[in-house]
Amino acid sequence: MRDVSLPRSLEELWGLLDRESAAALYAGGTDLLVKLRAGLEDPPALICLERVGELKGVQDELDEVWIGAATTLSTLMEDPIIQRRFQVLRKGLEVLGSPPVRHMGTIGGNIVTASPAGDTLPALYVLGAQLEIRSKDGSRVVAIRDFIVGPGQVLLNRGEILAGIRLRKVQSYAIHHYEKVGRRKSQACAIASMAALLTVSDSGVVEAARLAWGSVGPTVVICREAEAAIEGKPLSMESLKLAIPLVEKAVSPIDDIRADAAYRRTVAGLLLLRLSEYSAGTCSAQ
Amino acid sequence: MKNKDKPPELQPFFDKNIAGDVVPSIGISMPRIDAYAKVTGRERYAADYYGFDMIWAGVKRAGIPHARLKSVNTQAAENLPGVIAVLTHKNISGSNRQGVIRKDQPVLVDDKVRHCGDAVALVLAEDKETLAKAIKLTSADFEPLPGVFTTETALEENAPLVHEDHPGGNVLLKASLEIGSVQSAKEHCDVLVEACFETPLVEHAYLETEAGWAQLKEDGKLEIVASTQTPFRDRMEVADALGLEPERIRMIAPYAGGAFGGKDGVTVQSLLGLAALHANGRPVKMWWSREESFIAGTKRHAARMYYRLGAKADGSLHSLDTRLYFDTGPYDHLGGVVITLALEHSGGPYRIPNVSFKGWAVYTNNPIGGAFRGFGVAQVTAAMEQMMDMLAEKLAMDPLKLRLKNAVRKGDKNCVGVTLTHSTGLVECLEAVARHPLWTERAAWKSKAGPFKRRGAGIVALMHASGYGPVVPDVANAKVELTAEGKIKVYCGVVDMGQGNAATNLQIAGSILCQNVDRIELILPDTDRTLPSGSASASRCTYTFGNALIGACETLKLRILQRAADLLMVDDCDETALIPGAVRHLPTGREIPLHRLATFMNESERTATQRFRAPTAKEIPPVGNEIRLHGFPHTLFSYGAHLVRVEVNELTGVVDVKRYLSVSDCGKIINPHVYEQQIQGAIAQGIGYALSEEVQVNEGKVLTADLATFIIPAASDVPEIESQPVEIYEPSGPYGLKGVGEIATNGPLPAIANAVADACGVRIFRSPLTPSRVLRALRERLSEGGVH
Amino acid sequence: MKIRFVLNGETTELDVPGDRRVVDVLREDVGLTGAKESCGSGDCGACTILVDGESRLSCLMLAAQLQGRRITTIEGLGSEAQLHPIQSAFTQYGAVQCGFCIPGMVLATADLLKRNPSPSREQIRRGLGGNLCRCTGYQKIVDAVQAAASRSADHEKPLRDDK
Repeated sequence: MRDVSLPRSLEELWGLLDRESAAALYAGGTDLLVKLRAGLEDPPALICLERVGELKGVQDELDEVWIGAATTLSTLMEDPIIQRRFQVLRKGLEVLGSPPVRHMGTIGGNIVTASPAGDTLPALYVLGAQLEIRSKDGSRVVAIRDFIVGPGQVLLNRGEILAGIRLRKVQSYAIHHYEKVGRRKSQACAIASMAALLTVSDSGVVEAARLAWGSVGPTVVICREAEAAIEGKPLSMESLKLAIPLVEKAVSPIDDIRADAAYRRTVAGLLLLRLSEYSAGTCSAQ
Repeated sequence: MKNKDKPPELQPFFDKNIAGDVVPSIGISMPRIDAYAKVTGRERYAADYYGFDMIWAGVKRAGIPHARLKSVNTQAAENLPGVIAVLTHKNISGSNRQGVIRKDQPVLVDDKVRHCGDAVALVLAEDKETLAKAIKLTSADFEPLPGVFTTETALEENAPLVHEDHPGGNVLLKASLEIGSVQSAKEHCDVLVEACFETPLVEHAYLETEAGWAQLKEDGKLEIVASTQTPFRDRMEVADALGLEPERIRMIAPYAGGAFGGKDGVTVQSLLGLAALHANGRPVKMWWSREESFIAGTKRHAARMYYRLGAKADGSLHSLDTRLYFDTGPYDHLGGVVITLALEHSGGPYRIPNVSFKGWAVYTNNPIGGAFRGFGVAQVTAAMEQMMDMLAEKLAMDPLKLRLKNAVRKGDKNCVGVTLTHSTGLVECLEAVARHPLWTERAAWKSKAGPFKRRGAGIVALMHASGYGPVVPDVANAKVELTAEGKIKVYCGVVDMGQGNAATNLQIAGSILCQNVDRIELILPDTDRTLPSGSASASRCTYTFGNALIGACETLKLRILQRAADLLMVDDCDETALIPGAVRHLPTGREIPLHRLATFMNESERTATQRFRAPTAKEIPPVGNEIRLHGFPHTLFSYGAHLVRVEVNELTGVVDVKRYLSVSDCGKIINPHVYEQQIQGAIAQGIGYALSEEVQVNEGKVLTADLATFIIPAASDVPEIESQPVEIYEPSGPYGLKGVGEIATNGPLPAIANAVADACGVRIFRSPLTPSRVLRALRERLSEGGVH
Repeated sequence: MKIRFVLNGETTELDVPGDRRVVDVLREDVGLTGAKESCGSGDCGACTILVDGESRLSCLMLAAQLQGRRITTIEGLGSEAQLHPIQSAFTQYGAVQCGFCIPGMVLATADLLKRNPSPSREQIRRGLGGNLCRCTGYQKIVDAVQAAASRSADHEKPLRDDK
């Protein structure tokens, strides 16, 4: 039997971590409790963060939006600020798991779990999310792409927690795109995904592009070369096609029971072509 | 503060009391009586049995595909506090063998492990946590043996043998049939098409995993409650395996939480029986985890099927040559019967004068192949119906017209030489599809595919036999009782695993005896209370049991009316009629309540029984006796035609099923809702079979042992389904009905494959049609064509 | 560990290990077997319960998390004599076959209709995306949910959970 604590404040949490620094932290439990059942982890104690008020909610600050790490995915999905400013994230949330999973799971959990298939991650990468890491002794801020270093691996020291996510409010991108390829329309793990932010001029030229792929490498893959290849060019099939080989080179997918590596590589490139639908004047692709 | 848990204050619109006032009629949709307890969470499935002083039982699985068992080490587990017993084969005094046809599966391994899911030891513990620890502490010494993991390697000379004592080696059963001469016929064909199809190993994935409860009663009786399709057969199997007299065993089968063939035969029963014999009279519960269900449960056979189909230039089929290889895993289970039914259906519902069919059920060290809705027919239909489209393409003929041209009609001989003497409505089904806008307007719909999308439509023709065939008696025994309280009890001999036959039984009894729902009680299968009526399988439940039940109800009705006529002192019971709760003398309006009438009748008079045996084919087809013993041939078939519209995503290879039409000849319908449930549910399973479901196995180990990796469709993956019946009266059926349980499962895979071929111009011979396979095929075609 | 919570409207106090799964607490300790376990890993939705009115998976929740919560299981939604409108629609529209997924499906529907009182068929399918059914093909479940929604609309009493 393991002790399960439900601290109501960070103060209380630090005290618990002092006493049992090897305790496993969870919020929604949709990942950790599955691993415990499968015997993949065996922590001495559990701390559930679902009631730590300081870790919850969406705050509209001056030039940033702060999201508490223990905010549930469904709260976030229904949040007006997220809907207004960060459609790419909302699109990721909409296809993540299923309603009960989104009611339980949290954005912080999705990040710390650091699955290459995490559905919020490509969006957070293109949005340049900054993560607020806190401990009893203070806090630090780190970019998500520096925080996640491998499948299930994040740079979090003992006694540290992911407390919040900061997103810059001023994002000029008019096009927010996320496409997930799964083996089922709900309750599915991505076998490939792509998030994109684009600014397209009135004349149809891509002024800025941010692209990120999920499930095609040990972490979310970004490809500056592909972004550069489509920037300054018309948003057309022709220019998008030119970027495909760059994407195929950047990704490093694996074979697993859900899909083979060759497929993932091909799809990662082909998903770019979907962006051409925006040039046709439609606001949402697919 | 308001109480948030209070249910929203809304008036119920329809409750049991209202439903209970209804006198059932035949042919109308009425709410299923079982739905009320299920929808309120009060129904007690086998998995829901808990009780005072209960013990948990669980199994140590081998985890190795092929090995000689040297010893089982139980000591460490036995020493764990809370462990009651750790049992091995040495604790079994019976044959320790289970099986339906060939008894080749041990309850607990004695000589050899033949697949990873084999049970090595049975652990009894006070609670689940201790049980899990004890199972981990139990170990075994094995001498690993080389295994066989494909039918090809299993059939090689000098292949390791799964059963050294089997005269056929790794061939469990070879079935073959020749009519005419394929060899000489081939020369007379204008067109030949040839292909090899591979279909995957598939899990039933019922929501209620294998579960049960057992107790050795003070009178020495062993009572077993199990989620099963076959309580009467289970009793014999358990008795034989454990060395008990069958009459010492009482099997009880509550509503099952899904079964689809996976509970056709023993799962937990013998293990639970053994546990109860060592539990000092305490009740024992066993409930397999989802992973255990994947590893140890039976599956739909993976198949490899070679087809060569020849036709004349006008499209008439002339010859068909097939070779079917079914991976039956380590045990017979029902593998021989499955390959036989597959063989019988391998030419589809067509007239073909020259056929040569060969089928092999092959032992391997993979998971156990067994019964699964469709029962071999799902596999061969996938092959044959794609062959028909390939042939149509080669002949430049409309695929629907090609099917119509060759479709069997009443009076024809089907391609295995059986004269179709029962209702045969395939042509009507195909014609309904041909008239439907989803077919006639397909070209316009296809042309409107959006960017990066391709659209296609596919059709198939289907047939599915019902019942056991000629040798094993396909018999049901119904019993119905007027209780002393004046109510009606229907003793259901066939399990309701979700298909709704219990509710249908109520509908039949209520309709004949003119009693409202509240006056009828259903007694679910119980070897002590209900009469043997065979398995809940083979699309036979309502056909066979329904016929028996009609007979029993009519007998009881007559007895009630005659007795009432006597008491009312009227001459003719024609003047009396049953009404809810009473008998009325129609000319005078005098009534006798049933509870009063019942007091004048003794128990045997108040009870009526009836046996029914399903008809069998009288022709002696040119097959060996072995094949006849495995159920060949059938005489009664349901028919159908399916149409599907799909959209293929060119960038991802994802196939989206947009619309589905099923037209079926399953005879007349007793309850349209239940009919639609069967069709819609079967199609959803078929869509999973076509697109996503595949138990991946490596060297005998299941890699996809959970519902996160074995992908069954969720609500958004299934399209709106239209299910039209072609209600042709089948004189031998209850109210003209034929079987509907399985046929629709067989359609979606070939229909979708045909639609994908229509959309993309590529055919994928290996299913499921995963995004990866579709995208690869699509891109190979595009690069060949130099496009893109 | 002593846990106090409201179960189907009644204050309940239990002394159970804090790390015991809620599905086990409900089924084995309290005797409410309406919440079914089918996968144990959050993939199927059969163990769905309402926690403060919101659908959650009781196989991925620990007893300690019950503290102070209001829990509704299928047993608390309606009875056979007095079916909840969703339950009533499920029986009437033929949405129930084997029924093992149904308690979870009904509770997921309650959550869905609270958020969206008149969902389209597509929204219903998405809203029930975490609840697997192997019998029905979902069509009659969608029919039933639609009917339950329109009946609530007819009676001008949306299915909601007063917060």
